[in-house]
This record gives sequence, structure tokens and C-alpha cells, in this order.
Amino acid sequence: MASDNGKTTRRAVLKGVGAGGLVGMAGCLGVEGGGEGGTEGSGEGTGTTGGSTSGGGSPDSIVFGQPAAQTGQWDFLQPGVSQATDAALQNINDAGGPLDTEVELVRRDTGVNPQEARTVVTQLVENDGASAILGLFSSEINPLWDFLQEQRTPVVTPWPGSTFLDTRGGDKGTPENLDDDEWVWRTVVGDTVHTAGNAKRTLDEGYETIGVINGNTEGERSYVEGFLAPYEAEGGSVAQRVEVGLGESSYQSALERLFGADFDAFLVSLPQESAITMLSDWADGGYGGQPVLSDTLGTQAVIDQVGDALNGAWAASPGQSGPNYDTFEQAFQSAGDAEVNAWSPPAWDAMHVVALAIERAGEATPEAIERNLGPVSGGEGTAVSTFAEGKEALANGEEVNFEGAATPTNFTRHGNVFGSVTISVAKNGEFTEAEVIPAEDVRGFVEEGEY
Amino acid sequence: MGLLQNVIFGLVTGSYIAVAAIGFTLVYGIVNMINFAYGEYLTVGAFVGLLTAGTLPVPLPVAVLVAMVGGGVASLVLARLFFTPINHTGPVPMLLTSIGLGIALRNLIRLVAGRNARYFDTETATFRLTGVPDVSVGPFDLLGDFFVTSEHLVVVGCAVGVFLALHGLLTRTDVGIAMRAMGDDEDLARVRGVDTQRIRDSVWVLAGVLAGLAGVLVAIQTNVSAGTGYSHILQILAAAILGGAGSPYGAIAGSYIIGLVLSLSTAFLPGGMAELSSAMAFLILVVVLLVKPSGLAAREVREA
Amino acid sequence: MSVADRLPLGDAAGNGALLLGAVCVLLAAVFALTPLVVSLPGSLYVFFEVAILFAVYGVLVLGLDLQYGHTGLVNFGHVAFFAVGAYAVAMLSARDSFAGVSLGLPWPVALAGGVVVAALLGAAVGATSVRLRDDFLAVATLATAEIVHSLFVSFEGVFGGNVGIGSVPQPVSDLAGDADTAMLATLLLFGGVTLFTLAAVTRLTEAPYGRVLRAIRADELVTRSVGKSVLTYKMQSFVYGAALAGLAGGLFALYTGAVAPGYFTIQVTVTVWIGMLLGGAANHRGVLAGLAVIMGLRLLSRFALGVMPLSADAFASVRLVVVGLILVAVIRYRPAGLWGDAEELGVDT
Repeated sequence: MASDNGKTTRRAVLKGVGAGGLVGMAGCLGVEGGGEGGTEGSGEGTGTTGGSTSGGGSPDSIVFGQPAAQTGQWDFLQPGVSQATDAALQNINDAGGPLDTEVELVRRDTGVNPQEARTVVTQLVENDGASAILGLFSSEINPLWDFLQEQRTPVVTPWPGSTFLDTRGGDKGTPENLDDDEWVWRTVVGDTVHTAGNAKRTLDEGYETIGVINGNTEGERSYVEGFLAPYEAEGGSVAQRVEVGLGESSYQSALERLFGADFDAFLVSLPQESAITMLSDWADGGYGGQPVLSDTLGTQAVIDQVGDALNGAWAASPGQSGPNYDTFEQAFQSAGDAEVNAWSPPAWDAMHVVALAIERAGEATPEAIERNLGPVSGGEGTAVSTFAEGKEALANGEEVNFEGAATPTNFTRHGNVFGSVTISVAKNGEFTEAEVIPAEDVRGFVEEGEY
Repeated sequence: MGLLQNVIFGLVTGSYIAVAAIGFTLVYGIVNMINFAYGEYLTVGAFVGLLTAGTLPVPLPVAVLVAMVGGGVASLVLARLFFTPINHTGPVPMLLTSIGLGIALRNLIRLVAGRNARYFDTETATFRLTGVPDVSVGPFDLLGDFFVTSEHLVVVGCAVGVFLALHGLLTRTDVGIAMRAMGDDEDLARVRGVDTQRIRDSVWVLAGVLAGLAGVLVAIQTNVSAGTGYSHILQILAAAILGGAGSPYGAIAGSYIIGLVLSLSTAFLPGGMAELSSAMAFLILVVVLLVKPSGLAAREVREA
Repeated sequence: MSVADRLPLGDAAGNGALLLGAVCVLLAAVFALTPLVVSLPGSLYVFFEVAILFAVYGVLVLGLDLQYGHTGLVNFGHVAFFAVGAYAVAMLSARDSFAGVSLGLPWPVALAGGVVVAALLGAAVGATSVRLRDDFLAVATLATAEIVHSLFVSFEGVFGGNVGIGSVPQPVSDLAGDADTAMLATLLLFGGVTLFTLAAVTRLTEAPYGRVLRAIRADELVTRSVGKSVLTYKMQSFVYGAALAGLAGGLFALYTGAVAPGYFTIQVTVTVWIGMLLGGAANHRGVLAGLAVIMGLRLLSRFALGVMPLSADAFASVRLVVVGLILVAVIRYRPAGLWGDAEELGVDT
């Protein structure tokens, strides 16, 4: 796969430089005449670089770009997403690829640093000729918001839960009109929504006062805020909240502080590694109380490391209850030995929905993809679970509705998705599914138009 | 909230840091450099320990010994390759070299070992003391019930063992006495017939051995990944400088101060500021540098 | 022997840089203020992006070189002043940011504010720390940078936490006709500012004042014995460097339209330090050239992904291993840098 990447990258670069050079020479200087003249010119330049010249038939290549966390603080999350992406790529190309063209994926490291991410996105779009971006974290998207809008390339990302995106992104319900589009789509359920499912469960179980311990990063804070809004609105109260840094060697003082207050259950929102350290400290200290875990902690590793003390703890996960999770899981397992994490199924969904958008559009330009993301993900069309099914249905002249692995992948007007929330409870060394809060119920937690 | 309990936590954290900080500060004193790659030495030790415990049928203490040997060897090899050749250039080039080496090592480890965190398989027992009377001062209890875990005891025990062994080494053996002499005045030591290069090598080995031990201790409490040591380097550095760089006894004191500050500020800072505990550790460092620039153990670091 | 000496701006007091800077700013004004538009080839965007960042970091490295190259102050927390300048400008000028404080003042006021705030922080850190020995000053400034960073992350209500401050005005983009023109105008404008800075520090260090600074670096005792207040000079040099970093931060905020803690990691400090050492400390044009080399290497190494027989995963790590080893190699084999004067820096080659 690596050498494949290499070949196309080089080709795309050469072509990009060639095409760009021509455009540059042809129209380097101009006077703004009809207002739109300049913009039009550069827009076309981008299109050509996109390696997907219009004019019917198959383009010679279709490139997707994936900014990735291959180094830096979050590098341990990338293998699960890379493998899901590669599995989806395999699946799509085995079915002939969109417009009968093989899709190439170029993955570049950002270290989850907004500065690096800016360079990487520019390079992916302009030099690698990517017609869609399939990555980026909250902490990259938020500071780069204006920049991403200027790229006019759809960003379909499995990562961000941030409430920042609740009312930002998507096509605003008007697929054909690009003027109001905000170009960022996420295939992972936003924190506002699934945390509400967790809050509901906590109240239903009779825990009306909780303690909160969370990391000081955007994802963790956003999760807690998403949880607390409905929880407090429904009468719950917070006895104590403690924020901690990540990767500390011990969280015992923080726990001592937390458990100085009086409550029955406590919410944990930390990345897995730090959470394991913290929960081990908690188990050793015998503090008791009902642990309520954030979505990313419902993994085998957490139970294996923390042990029996965790019995009865539950995690509410949004990402693993899409209608076609099984299809994904099978493909994922045969693609390598990385562990599935909360962002793996959304990564699978992101690849599929973009490929289907190209198939429906009949061309692989960023604009065409942006126009078709809404139509292929929702609506009344034939429900499809794989690219092959979608390609066939589209060839028959039908509309399609992609049903994903993480969620049914029905984008809202702000480019967000809803899904059912699965509550899994730790018992005898593994997490078992205890309850599924259906998507419709979850949807009720958020106001129409606010997500 | 019991003060006593938090003091215990602080002492445990201080013990982790102390084992590493001694190695760090010895290198500072004898080789005269701030070694920013030292965190990676911890990581190397943690990986050697994990690999030994995972592949060979040996008990954990043996794996720890192997990790210490591994750390010592790695430290000597790296010193010979990267630091000894530029010994004469002064502290700043050496500091910068160690930064470059740190970046390279960290990513090399990531390349070889992958990105997933791994764990030591350990069991922890908890010992609880109840019925301790609260001695209340305002909202705080000075005593109160408390617990210690077997992990706590092992960490503190290792640290105390290291302190005793080190004290013996520095006061009773020729190598140790030569080390102290060199730390005080290298030229004088050379005149008195000390083989300074041999002493430097011994210090590198000793620092690596301590890093290996500290690496495994941290890894048992947390996990093993490419960033295991790197995430603690600033605390180690702060403790060593706080204690008066170059002084192992100062480093021990500095480590426990940092440990206690981390633990007590997490426990008692006003709400919403608890996560500033690591910033607090640095604040203390800056304040100490300003008030008593020589650190806790006397050595002049101010020039004008 | 140096390439930098042969650059077409090699005159004594930096007049060439001043002139070239003026031309750049003038050109930038032409593109930004008139209906003239340009269109750039898309494949060059990434180079323009990095070139703009280079101009910003260029101001940073010139300030750092004033501190280290000329006065011998080892500031290992340079990013703190850069960050403080950027945050001050962002908070003063932003309108309705998603998180944190936004006051909506006009951007020129904010930019001046950013420089002042950074200089004040510089004065505060300088007053307390410049008397420390080299490596301890490094630690004290490093600790300052860590404290500043964690304050930005922790106080969400004021600094916007990890999201940072958004909706900062982008004057150049607002004035220019389209994105390409804005990019070129920004590059020219920032390049002009960097050249002005170059001219200013050149004048400063060519003057008798600069000789005192270098004398302090070479031998502090002697300098003191001829009746110069070493501490005052050190303080001034430190504050100038901090103010320049604040200016760079302000420009950065007004260019990106948002600031966040992720932009201001220790990575920035490391990059400018490598650039300075690579080019040769105490040589103004040298440090800029060194910075260009390291930033260029980092960028070009990204393009190597296609030709290396490695997976993208392995490549990401290998790339950083190489960057680290380059730093090690330069210090070992060219301790005075590519364009530095070994004798003046007092290092053995």
C-alpha cells in the first residue's frame, strides 16, 4: 500500500505542479473586473490540481487526504482509525472504486498541532490533489476554522466531539447551494448528544448527585459540559468537579479531593491511558462509588488493567451501534491487528460516504462531493451498507441512503450525526451491553436546529 | 480531607522523582550538562523491564534488575556516542545536543515499539489504618484515616534503598569519593590523579541504572509507551535544579518538595485551579531560583 | 566565506534591508489596497504558507539572537513571549470569540498592546532571572513558558482553553481582493516587517551599544571592570527580544485569525533555536538563513513520503528522528553554525 501511495503522490505532485504552472503563467496578474473573475480563475486551478478533470468518463485518479495523529500526544488512537480507513479503502476499491477509478489515500502526520495541520491540509489539497479530507481533531479544526472554509474542500472527520461544531459545518440543508456551506462534517456523534444518553441513564439509576473528574483537554471538557447540561436541567447536581492534567504518574491526590465531597456516582472523562492510571488508583484506594465512564473508556484494556473493582461501572458509547456495525467489524478484523476504538467505525463511515458522494456526483471535485454528501447519507433512497451496494443502486438510477457502522449516518443541516447510545456495563472482566437508548430518544435531548 | 493521606501521596510521588533526579543531578555535577534526553533513558529502562518480564519466566524483581543493567548500558553507549566527544564545548551545546538526541530517541522508540501503551502485570494490596483521630485545623484534618498500598511501599522502599546505596557509594568507595572530588573541582581532582574520564563513565552508568529503575517504577504505576519518560522530564529537572544542581542530597530534598507541592496543591488549591498543580511546581522552582539561586544545597549559579 | 555575506544587502548598517523591506511593504500595499489581483498556482500554496510562517518566526529568531547571539542570555522559553503577544492581540481585537475574552478593539491598538504586554513579561522575567547562570536561565525561562502554557489551557473563561480565541480580525485578507492576493500581500508585508526588524537589530548591534553586548557575552568581568552596568544591558537586550517576540505573535494572530495553545508549544522554541544555531548565532542574516534551512527541511521532508520505501506511519517517526539527528550533527560538526564566526562565539571547531 505504501508504494502505491508513493506512485500516485508523485504523479499528483508532478501533475499539480504542471497544471499549476500553466495557470500561473496564464493568469498571474489580472485586474479585478467583474468581481468574480479572480476567484473563478483560482477555483478552476484548484479543480485541475484535484486530479479529476471534468469532462465525463473516469478521472485518472481520485485522492483522499488523511491528516493523522502519527506522532504527538494522541498517537495511540491513530492505529485504530488508520486500520478502519484502510479497510474501507480496500472495500471501496474491491468494488471497483467510485467512477470505476481506484481511490488513493495519502496519510500525513500532523501531531495534532494546528500549525502542522494547516501545512498538511494545504499540501494534501494543493499538492497531493486530495478532493476530500478525512481527518482533523477538534483542537485542529477550531483554530483553523476560517482557513478550512477558504479551502472549499469537504472535511469529513471521525474525530471531533466538540460542541463548537454543533452549529457549525454541513450544507445547511441545501445541498445544491454551496454559498452557505461550512465544509466540515463529522461522522462521530457530537458530545452534546450521546453524553445526554449517559446523563439520562445516571438519573434513571437514581444518582442525583455526582462528582466529576476530567482531563484538561478539549475533548474531555466538552464531554463533561455535554453531560452536565441535561443532567443539571433534569435535576441532578454536581458535588465536586476536579480537573487534572494528562499522563500524570498518580491521580491519588485528585481522587482524595474528589471524594472529600459527598456523592453516589462519579463521572470519569479522561483518555484511556490516564483513565487506567486514575481508576487503578481509585481501586487501590477503595473509594467506592458508582463509576460512570465517558464513551472512550468502554474498552477491554480498561477492565483488564483496573480489574474487578470496576464491576458495575458503565460506559455510554455512541459509536458502535450503527445498523451495519457487523459489516465494519468483519472488514476491520481482517485488515490488521489494531484494536477497535471509538473513532474506528466513524472513520469507516467517513470513507464510504465520501466515495458514494463521488459516485452519485459523477465527478470527483471537492464541490461535487460537498453537494452530494447530504443526498447520499440521508433521505428516502435505498438503504445501503457498503460501497458495492451503493454503486449498484446508483447505477440502477436509484437514490441511496448510506447506513453506517457508527450511526445511520444521516447528516443534519450542520453536518452532524445522531446515533443510538449503547450502555455497556462492566461485569466479570468484560463489558456487556445492558441497554440501548434509541436514536430517536437521543434526538429528543437536543433542540431542533441546534445540532 | 486528611492532610496526612495527601502527604503520603506526595512522598510516594517524590520517591519516583527522587530516584531519577539523583541520576540527572549526578550527570549535571560531573559532566556539567543538563541532559534533556534523560526522560528517554527512563523509557528505555521501562521497555527493557517490560520485555524481560514478558518474554522470560523471571519474577518482576529480576526484570527490574535487568532494566537497570539495560539502562546503564544504554546510558554509557549514548554518552560515548554523543556527549563524550563534545565534553569540552560547555553546557549550552551539550544541552542542545541532548534535546536533539531526545527527539530522535523518542521517535525511534515509537518507530520500533509502536504506539500502543503496554502494561506491567502487577497485583496491588491495600493496607488501611482506621481509627486515627482527626486533628482539625479549620477545614483541614491533620491526621485522619489513611491507607497505603503495596505499590506505595515498594516505591518508597526502592527510593530509600537507592539513597542508602548512594550514600555508601559516595562516602565509602574510591569511585564515589573521586566523584565527589570531581564535582567540587575537576582540575584539582585531575591533579590528584583521578582518572576523570573513567569517573565520567561511571557516572553515566550510574545515571542510566537509576533511570532504568525509575522508568520501571513509573511504568508499573502508569504504562509503557514512547512518551513514558518524556512526560516526567520537567518534574525531574525541576527537582534536581531545586535541590541545587549537582548535589544528590539536594536532589532528594527537591524531589520530595516537588512531590508534596504536586499532591498538596492538587488537594487544597481553590476549585478550578487544581489542574495547575504542575504549574505550581514550576512556580516554586522559579521562586527558589530567585530567592536562593544556588538551590537548596549551596552552589553559586548567579553570575552578576 | 559565507553565503550570507554575498547576499545583495550586505552593507554596514542594514540600509539594504531597510530599503528592501520598504519595497516589500509598498508592494504589499499595492496588492492589498488596489483592485489588482494575482492568482498563484495551487501547488505553491504550501510554500507560501510556510514562507509566511518563516517571516513570523524570522522576527522571533532575530529577537532571540539579540538575547543569545549578542548578549549570551540563554532564553529557552521564547515561545512564551510569542504566545503572550499573540493572545494579547487576539483578546484585544477579537469580536465575539466562541470562547474566552474578546474586546473588539481596532487591530492597530491591539497590536501595540500585544508588543507592550510581551515586553512587560520580558521585563518581569528579565528583572528576576537574567542574573542567573546560562543553563539556569534556560531552566527558569523554560519553566516560565510551561507556566504560561498551562495558564492558557486552564483558564477557559479568559483564554478560551484549548479552543483558544477565534474571530480575530484579519486585516490583510479583508483588504485584499481574493485569497491568492491576500496570501501574496501577507507574505510581502510580513517579509517587509522581518526586513525592518533585521535593519533595526543590525543598526543596534553595529552601534557601540552592540559592542558592549558582545563584550558581555565574551567576558562579563572585563566589561564590568570598564564601568558598564552589565545588568542594565542584559535587561535591555532581554526586553527587546521579548518585545520582538510579542510583535511576531501579534502578526501571527492577525494572520491566522485565531490563537490556541496548540500553536505555542515548546516546538516553536526548539525550531527557532535550531535555526539560530544552524545559521550561526550573532550573525543576523545567518540566523535567518539557518531558520530558512530548518523550516525548508521540515517542509521538503514531507514531500519525501512519496519516494521513501516506508509506510506513512513509520515515515512520521523517521522524519522526526532525522530532524533530531540533524540538530546533534550541527552542534558537533559546525558548533558555530553554517554562517557563524567561531572565534567570536568562542567555541572550538
